[in-house]
Amino acid sequence: MAAYLLQRMLLMVPTFIGITLIGFLIMRLAPGDPAELRAAGGLGAAAGAGISVEKRGAVDEAMAQWRAQYGLDKPLHVQYAVWMRNLFTLSFGESFKDSQSVWGKITERLPVTVKLNVWSILVVYLVAIPLGIYSATHPNSFADQVSTLTAFILFAVPLVWAATMAVVFICGGDFYYLFPPGGLESLDFSDDWSVWKKIKDHTWHLFLPVVLLSYDGFAGLSRYMRASMLEVLRQDYVQVARAKGLAEQVVVYKHVLRNSLIPQVTILASILPGLIGGSIIIETIFSIPGLGQLGYESVLARDYPTVMALFTVSAVLTLIGILISDILLSLVDPRIVFGRRLQ
Amino acid sequence: MSRNKSSPAAFESAEFDTATVATQSAAGLWSDVWRRFKRNPIALTGFYVVFILAFMALFADFLANDLPYYSVYKGKSYFPIFRSYVVGVKLGRWPAELLNVDFKKLEGASSIFPPIPYRPSSINLLEPLEPPSTRHWFGTDKLGRDITAGMIHGSRISLSIGFVAVGIAVIVGVVLGAIAGYFGSWVDLVISRLFEIMLSIPTFFLLITVAALLPPSIFLTMAIIGSTSWVGIARFTRNEFLRIRNLDYVTSAIALGVSDRTVMFKHILPNALAPVIVSVVLGIAGAILVESALSFLGIGVPAELVTWGSILHEASSTTFAWWLAVFPGFAIFITVLAYYLVGEGLREVLDPRLRGLR
Amino acid sequence: MSRRIWQPIFALILLFGCGREENPGEPSRPVAQTAATETPSTPATGDWLVLHELSDPEQLNPLTSSDASSSEVLGFVFESLLTRDPRTLELKPLIAEARPEISQDRLVYTFRIRKDVRFQDGRPLTGEDLLFSVKAIKCPLVNAPFLRVYFNSLVDAQLLDPNTIRFVTKEPYFLNESVLGGIMLLPRDYYDPENLLKNISIRDLLKGPAQLDENVKKFADNFNRNYNRNPQGSGPYRFHRWKTGQEVELVRDPDYWGMGKPGIDQPFVDRLKFRVVNNMDAALVRLKSGSLDYMEVLQPVQVVRGTHSERFNREFKKYEYYAPTYTYIGWNNDHPIFRDKRVRKAMTYLTDRKQIVKSVLFGLGEVVEGPIYFFRPEYDKELPGYPFDPKKGLALLREAGWSDTDGDGVLDKFIDGKKVPLRFEIKINSGNAVRKSVALVLLDELKKHGIAASVRELDWTIFLNDVKNHQFDAVVLGWQMSTAEPDAYQVWHSSQAANKGSNAISYKNARVDEILEIYRREFDAHKRIQMYKEFQQILHDEQPYTFLYVGKRVSAVHRRFQSVEVFPDGLRPIDWWVPLAQQKYVSTVTAQ
Repeated sequence: MAAYLLQRMLLMVPTFIGITLIGFLIMRLAPGDPAELRAAGGLGAAAGAGISVEKRGAVDEAMAQWRAQYGLDKPLHVQYAVWMRNLFTLSFGESFKDSQSVWGKITERLPVTVKLNVWSILVVYLVAIPLGIYSATHPNSFADQVSTLTAFILFAVPLVWAATMAVVFICGGDFYYLFPPGGLESLDFSDDWSVWKKIKDHTWHLFLPVVLLSYDGFAGLSRYMRASMLEVLRQDYVQVARAKGLAEQVVVYKHVLRNSLIPQVTILASILPGLIGGSIIIETIFSIPGLGQLGYESVLARDYPTVMALFTVSAVLTLIGILISDILLSLVDPRIVFGRRLQ
Repeated sequence: MSRNKSSPAAFESAEFDTATVATQSAAGLWSDVWRRFKRNPIALTGFYVVFILAFMALFADFLANDLPYYSVYKGKSYFPIFRSYVVGVKLGRWPAELLNVDFKKLEGASSIFPPIPYRPSSINLLEPLEPPSTRHWFGTDKLGRDITAGMIHGSRISLSIGFVAVGIAVIVGVVLGAIAGYFGSWVDLVISRLFEIMLSIPTFFLLITVAALLPPSIFLTMAIIGSTSWVGIARFTRNEFLRIRNLDYVTSAIALGVSDRTVMFKHILPNALAPVIVSVVLGIAGAILVESALSFLGIGVPAELVTWGSILHEASSTTFAWWLAVFPGFAIFITVLAYYLVGEGLREVLDPRLRGLR
Repeated sequence: MSRRIWQPIFALILLFGCGREENPGEPSRPVAQTAATETPSTPATGDWLVLHELSDPEQLNPLTSSDASSSEVLGFVFESLLTRDPRTLELKPLIAEARPEISQDRLVYTFRIRKDVRFQDGRPLTGEDLLFSVKAIKCPLVNAPFLRVYFNSLVDAQLLDPNTIRFVTKEPYFLNESVLGGIMLLPRDYYDPENLLKNISIRDLLKGPAQLDENVKKFADNFNRNYNRNPQGSGPYRFHRWKTGQEVELVRDPDYWGMGKPGIDQPFVDRLKFRVVNNMDAALVRLKSGSLDYMEVLQPVQVVRGTHSERFNREFKKYEYYAPTYTYIGWNNDHPIFRDKRVRKAMTYLTDRKQIVKSVLFGLGEVVEGPIYFFRPEYDKELPGYPFDPKKGLALLREAGWSDTDGDGVLDKFIDGKKVPLRFEIKINSGNAVRKSVALVLLDELKKHGIAASVRELDWTIFLNDVKNHQFDAVVLGWQMSTAEPDAYQVWHSSQAANKGSNAISYKNARVDEILEIYRREFDAHKRIQMYKEFQQILHDEQPYTFLYVGKRVSAVHRRFQSVEVFPDGLRPIDWWVPLAQQKYVSTVTAQ
């Protein structure tokens, strides 16, 4: 087992380098100069009002100084090497926007994104698995057809549409006010509130974002679960179990379920890399200070260190996810030993 | 030799044909596919919707335009829409009195207009943000542009982005997957690492990065969506090639000395296409979704262009104008749903394992 | 099985979905009666003001922050030598006892500091703190290159006695007094606890970064890194806490040194909460639901649609005023099409500026004809406006040689023997919906007359790069000015066209150059006004820009706040207070 793990980790190295290189090249080769944004006083000011007459002046010298300070005037490969070297000491550098430690910014926002995604995964699994099981055990029944159709419909609803409709119709504005239009907590959230009150407040704010994040998940997963269970149900050994006289319940829940859950495990692992990209839209629309929003803003502000750091974090998460999923698969599926499917 | 244990007999018989017969029965396979596909009413509906959308996209200029089909002016008759095509390819010119004229306001002209007499880009500052009415079926946006026209022409953009992006993905994916599956060993190892890299990159984040940083253009959007979505197709192709490569007819072809390229693309590929086709259809739906997300965020779409996503973008900052949110989103939804239904229908027909249940 | 999942979910929706945000502390008093009750005339302290901030401040370091949000917050925490009278916009003393003595040659400025000023930690403010503040700005290793640039002309500063400082500048410039008067006063013992800069003089700091003393490097490092989230100054509000991405909170200092003193702004509200809401729609919802008290900027659409209900007007009052900015279309004067001033004038005739203000800005703006802030005395109100007149515009174009010779719908002309169509590209930056609308409207109108313009939307940094490198045909941009005295040198002098200067359109006019040069050395305000009138007349004739409009700003403030008044510079929350009977939030302000 140890040898297998070591082998996998070694194989991950080129992947890791590949990802970071791609991220680096894209950020650097894209036109545009972060010094310019600093000079303009940040993105909001720049896009909004225009160039400040007072601030122009002989600012180029100041920008050159700023660029030198961050090593942006060195050739590309040197910059990449410096960045990789810093990586090994876990120092992601300082953000161009506000000179705060990038790692600090990420860890500050990580809990929010994690919370959002964990809840979403939980909701997806809690809804999809039972739904899939029911569909598989009562195939082509009315309920099955309805849930299939619903799954398709949910799959096709674009996230941007659902989120916009939510904001327009039920988050205040001209129609109904059922949920807050954004943020994590109410304005006057106070640490003196009772635990229950805090939980209620957070739930109210996170309800819509979590639902929006998960609806296509539970559509997809329930279909996948159904298909997987149907496949297992057709296997010979299930017939054998039934013939042996075992109750249907026992057959389904003891034998079939365990075997059909196997592929679902792999899906879990692929959710990890989606942490950053998946929530960009939701976090932007609902003003949730998470990693997705950080990523989007950092791209627009050309905050190279932060974007690179997010790329790297995402890459590491993915690789870990794949590794975990393979290990879990090895553990759960007796046909697979050390990552190799037995013939 | 790996063999899928649960493949029903029907499919196994196809595997033993020789190369030439393989192509013939491939044709027989497709008409068989179509026959089975027709039996699924839901998938068929999806197919018709796809067809209607394609029609709408192709003939958008005839459905929504502020130039009339036919106009009589000063005794002479003209076909302005056709003429605009002709002038556009520089094969003709406008007569002096019809230069840049607004046919709706032209005195002494009688014209027959398309059902929606607006172009999506025609600005009308006197009618901003109007709710749906008989004049503007789906309302107008803040510059008075008709939303119905925007939706019809927008289908052109969404569908072309979908097709081209997936086209790119198919080419890249099939080629890489075929090479990996056919040659195996270290080639496969290297290419699989590439797959892993592409899968580990946070795709949407990457898309935003590239689209936001480079000057917006449709081609760029098509290219980047295509170049980030080929991995699934590549993996399917690779798996199919790995499987089929070991079948008797292939090994005998190789033993007979047929070149690698011919074996790959003439013998194996036609039989490996089934999952690819399903991926293509689903991929088009996916590309449309991604494009709408990008233009919703305001990136990747040139300023003058009106797309479904850009209308939604306006909707999110003008929340009382519900018609800006409802209609384009619904259009995206119907398009994506139609493609999904077709894709799922195809999958059920082409997937040998599920055939037994029908 | 699935039913068991849905029931609790529905229950949750019902339970929490209908909740609203409540406030802690006292049960909410009915706010609806604000308009009817009498308001006492003596201001009371207390209550909180919750302000809307569109984005989180990047950091709260007084020197290195350069974004609008941090400036707003820090403006309450720090003070400077001089300030401007809100009504007359004249400079008046704050920390200084009086306006400075200026030497005959206009190079030396001497300020005397008040003796009764104290920082928020109780320590008295002396000349040492002022000298330190100047050193911090001039230190090349402090991350404030964009602030430092204003002080390039300052070459020395010395303390004549513990409360008097003397500044020496390189060349006479009438705005130097304002720049020096605007230095933010930092407490030396907080920002440089080890007094590393004690023996460093201003002249020492003029050297290149490599030649600086070790102590300077140590100071700068410490300053850049450790003072970004905890500002401390002498102002009436103290920094309390900052929840990143959500809210910055300032608390009134009950021991503020300026309490009760004449001529100093008095603080009344107990707490200032700058609440971050990135999305304008969400912000309006929060305003209406009581979570925000003050939105400084309402979008035109919101002004016209979202804020008209009776309920809204019962609770909030809207204030309209002009901000010192203007939007324009900049024509690249070096471009073969736009070299000819007749073409530029034609473009102005073809732009329906009044309609743009009416439709795109919903009427919230005024058309302008020149580059000076509309409300300053220097603005020449007698300039005749350019009306929207396509006929005149087309006539000018014909005069300049443009006509459609090949019947393809686009005007063309033979320039240097080649047939050039009247086709050009307007560049705009992304993220600004109003400018995009302006460009699209222009495009549409021009197309009707045979001018094939197109729009290109670019990311800000790329856009700015193109502008500075003169890689554009036309741009839609804005200038942001201050309400203080204008100085148009930077934008209109021909020398500023090179080296990526602000004269991006490459405008050259010898007489304008002359005026701009003399103007800077003119210390008599009246003479300056006359000079600028001539300047504007020349620009009016040459139309290097098509000047568009100055936008109107609309703010909404909750009615319980009194003393809300519109000044030339906008609103001043520091003046506001709430009568005891209508105070909504209660808190105790603890003295430290």
